[in-house]
Amino acid sequence: MSLEPKRLDLSLYFSREPIILAVLTGLAAVAFLAVTGLARLYQAQQESLALEWSSRGVSDLDAGHYKMAIAELRTALQYSRDNDAYQLSLAESLLGLHRTDEARAYLINLWEKQPENAVVNLELARIAVGKGETVQVLRFYHNAIYATWPSNQETERRRARLELIDYLLRINARTQAESELIALEANQGDDAAHQEQLGDLFLRVQDNTRALASFRASLRLQRDNPAALKGAGLAAFNMGTYPVAERYLQEAVSAAPGDAASAALLKTTQSAIRLDPFRPQISASERNRIVVDAFNVAGDRLKSCGALSDTSPSAPGKTAAAGQETKPAVGTEATATASTSSLGQQWTRLQPQITERGLRRDPDLVNTAMNLVFRAENQTTGNCGAVTVEDKGLRLIANLHEEN
Amino acid sequence: MRRIELSALFHTQSGVPVEQQTTTTVGEFEPASISAPAAPASGVLAFFREDRFFLILSVFIGIFSGMAVVCFRYAIDWCSIYVLGSGAALTPWRLIAAPAVAGLVIAVLTIHVFPEARGSGVNQTKAALYIYNGYIPLKTAVGKFITSALAIGSGHSLGPEDPSLQIGACLASALGRKLKLSRDHMRLIAPVGAAAGLAAAFNAPISAVLFVIEEVIGRWTAGILGSVVLSAVSSVVVVRWFMGSESLFRIPPVELKRPSELIAYAILGIVGGLASVAFSGGIAVLRPWCRGLRRSTQYFQPAIAGLLIGCIAVLGAPQVMGAGYGYIDEAMHGQFTWQFMAILGLLKIVATLLSFVSGTPGGMFAPTLFIGAMFGAAVGGAEHALLPHLSWSPGAYALVGMGVLFAGFLRAPMTSVFMVLEVSGNYSIIVPVIVANTFAYVISRALQPEPIFDTLSRQDGLELPSMEEQREESILRVEDAMHSPPDLVLDADDTIERIAKLTADAVEDVLLVRLHPSGWSSITREEIQEMTKDGKGSERLESIMAGGGQIPYLHPDHSLDTALRYVDRWPLVPVVNRANLRELDGVITQHDVLERYRDFGGE
Repeated sequence: MSLEPKRLDLSLYFSREPIILAVLTGLAAVAFLAVTGLARLYQAQQESLALEWSSRGVSDLDAGHYKMAIAELRTALQYSRDNDAYQLSLAESLLGLHRTDEARAYLINLWEKQPENAVVNLELARIAVGKGETVQVLRFYHNAIYATWPSNQETERRRARLELIDYLLRINARTQAESELIALEANQGDDAAHQEQLGDLFLRVQDNTRALASFRASLRLQRDNPAALKGAGLAAFNMGTYPVAERYLQEAVSAAPGDAASAALLKTTQSAIRLDPFRPQISASERNRIVVDAFNVAGDRLKSCGALSDTSPSAPGKTAAAGQETKPAVGTEATATASTSSLGQQWTRLQPQITERGLRRDPDLVNTAMNLVFRAENQTTGNCGAVTVEDKGLRLIANLHEEN
Repeated sequence: MRRIELSALFHTQSGVPVEQQTTTTVGEFEPASISAPAAPASGVLAFFREDRFFLILSVFIGIFSGMAVVCFRYAIDWCSIYVLGSGAALTPWRLIAAPAVAGLVIAVLTIHVFPEARGSGVNQTKAALYIYNGYIPLKTAVGKFITSALAIGSGHSLGPEDPSLQIGACLASALGRKLKLSRDHMRLIAPVGAAAGLAAAFNAPISAVLFVIEEVIGRWTAGILGSVVLSAVSSVVVVRWFMGSESLFRIPPVELKRPSELIAYAILGIVGGLASVAFSGGIAVLRPWCRGLRRSTQYFQPAIAGLLIGCIAVLGAPQVMGAGYGYIDEAMHGQFTWQFMAILGLLKIVATLLSFVSGTPGGMFAPTLFIGAMFGAAVGGAEHALLPHLSWSPGAYALVGMGVLFAGFLRAPMTSVFMVLEVSGNYSIIVPVIVANTFAYVISRALQPEPIFDTLSRQDGLELPSMEEQREESILRVEDAMHSPPDLVLDADDTIERIAKLTADAVEDVLLVRLHPSGWSSITREEIQEMTKDGKGSERLESIMAGGGQIPYLHPDHSLDTALRYVDRWPLVPVVNRANLRELDGVITQHDVLERYRDFGGE
């Protein structure tokens, strides 16, 4: 194996060197061309294999065969390691199998390369939703919303924002959800369904004014949409504009007679209208009659709570109306019972005066009677028995007038 | 030719500091340099002095090595596609049969056609440097290319770096032989090619340069470094031209969030150190055992190894097949659970042991990185599971893990740090890398004193210098051997008569003389007596010594090797203070030097 080195005649050596370098350069050029040819062959094969496997992967992804898709897309990535489309498809396949950590790794990698990629941001936001990372959710959804989408830009942005709103509502972040809804409203097009959906969401964040406006906008585009009518009725109802609510709810029930919820709400609304003595444009006799009716409804309510049969505060453990022994009331329950009994006594004392004639004689009794009615209805809420439509109506009137 | 001129000074001029004389460093280049023609060459020819020509040649070596490595990488991928298949889900029978059948073919080729293709490319390059005067047969490169491509492509758990290194070294050696380079350049040309091959395989020139310096050449000199860097950089340029500039792995962002996390990395270093010991211990035990089996079994050893690796793949860990860079990438991006990564690390050790000890050609760099990455990410994951407040980045732990195994198994501590930095392009990870690597290196050294490359060379019957020993070798200095300055130091201003009186009771035969304004000389008592007899008693010593008699002096920090060059010619050499050249720190004699060397050998 040993090689006896030959010492050169250096003068000859020097003279040869430029020639040697020229020959080496030529050899390098030839080798370079040969390797270039090989490289082209290699790259063509790699691209072809990548394309073949990615096509299969995407087909399986579309068909919901996530496991196959993952294997195929991983193979495609072996041949085209930095292909973003393959990585995104692979991440989507992994998400399909709920392998969120793996998917996230791919998506983060993509996000680092393309922080403005809307799809990547949306997928990352969805993963963050699953993990409950609200800061990341907001960040990625906002990125997705303001990113440039490859197609259907407005639809995709709207979809992303709706997902964000849904998440915010689920975590009870109503203020943030409302902000998003207002932003969504600003970009809302002429689409009845979209307006209706917006109205529903405003209802969920309890922004009834905007909800009503959205439902109205929807109804302008599709007049007899029962869902929009119902929504508008509910929004108006929540706002305490019962006549408006009644109108929409009537139309909703007409449009969808089987809609029991709307029908029930309509009844409550109508009751609230009927039993409201303070509503404008009614005669004094009408008002007096309503006060008498309301007073009687409250009396029935107090009776159902036993406050009128046994008004003695010394027997708090007994509900005379039911005639049953109950456990001795303690704490706030005892206080409530005592208060109800007191209301019963007041009602009993006032009852003789609350007639149409009595009210005509003393119009101040209207307020006294209605105050007692409102207190009785509020006091007995949830304490005893089923609440009638009239009770609900009176409570709504009470709330409305308390607000005013 | 500055060296030759200084060399001449060495012989003619004394009384000057040793540094000025010893710029004629006694190194590998000296004979060649001296042999170069001193006659001035002008124009183009002057440009092509052998040293410069060697540098230019290094660029060509890099270019050719780079292209060879590109072809080698293509060959591995083609083998993989045609032998294992390009499919997503490989059939079990193919997973088992492909490496087994390839093993049979490889065995026949290595036994009958390319026997040099077996073994470590690093050691073969070292052997070329230290034993064979740079000679590596070109046939070795061909054999390594074919057999390694087939082995790695068919799924044997080996990597392409070591064969790439050897292919580069072989090409360089062949080129050097064709050009009939001098012996010194021939010796160096193999490491230059090795650096090019390794740089092309890693796509990381700095790591390759460091590795070759650290593990093959073992010393730093400007001449070697320039050639090695040029060849490495040019080969990387070629590889990037053909294969793109992406690094081997997509590195996720990594950072050290809290200094307390260094403890976590230290634990990783300990685990990595133990894994390194297990891995190198396995090779140390199993390789000689396999080689000791009957010769006929060597036809089947690679096939059996392939069969077993195929079984591991079929049983759920196909990731252990081949170099596994794709899976390192996936581990870095958190696509495996830490438990699975720990299992993969263990299985990869088993698979690599099987492939390597069976004599299948291929390298251990990639498996080392794989094992390190898996253990790194697994340790990080386990730590995060136990202590959730630790920031958990699988990429960071995998990266550090790779460095840890490199430091612990390959025992290349400096390369291990720079490799991680170069691959990650992130300097914020340097502290965790250094901490973890130090632990791994120390543990590996303590439990497995012999580095893996030394083990392999010993098993191959070669006595190559141990780079680790060289790195850590104590250097004896003049201060270790010198003795106290004599009580009597003569002054050149004194008269001979006075000097004779002073030296009347002296026991030393040789006395030092302090010259004016600087410099030292020596005089014997006999010379003083003769001068007195000759009637020169009233003359000053300086006037008698004028124009000659200066002796060289040393400083306490000079190496004893340096002192050795002078003590045979001057019986007493002064050791003077660097801050005050007239102040004597001690004196040194040939006897002192030899005595110190003798004691050192005993130590």
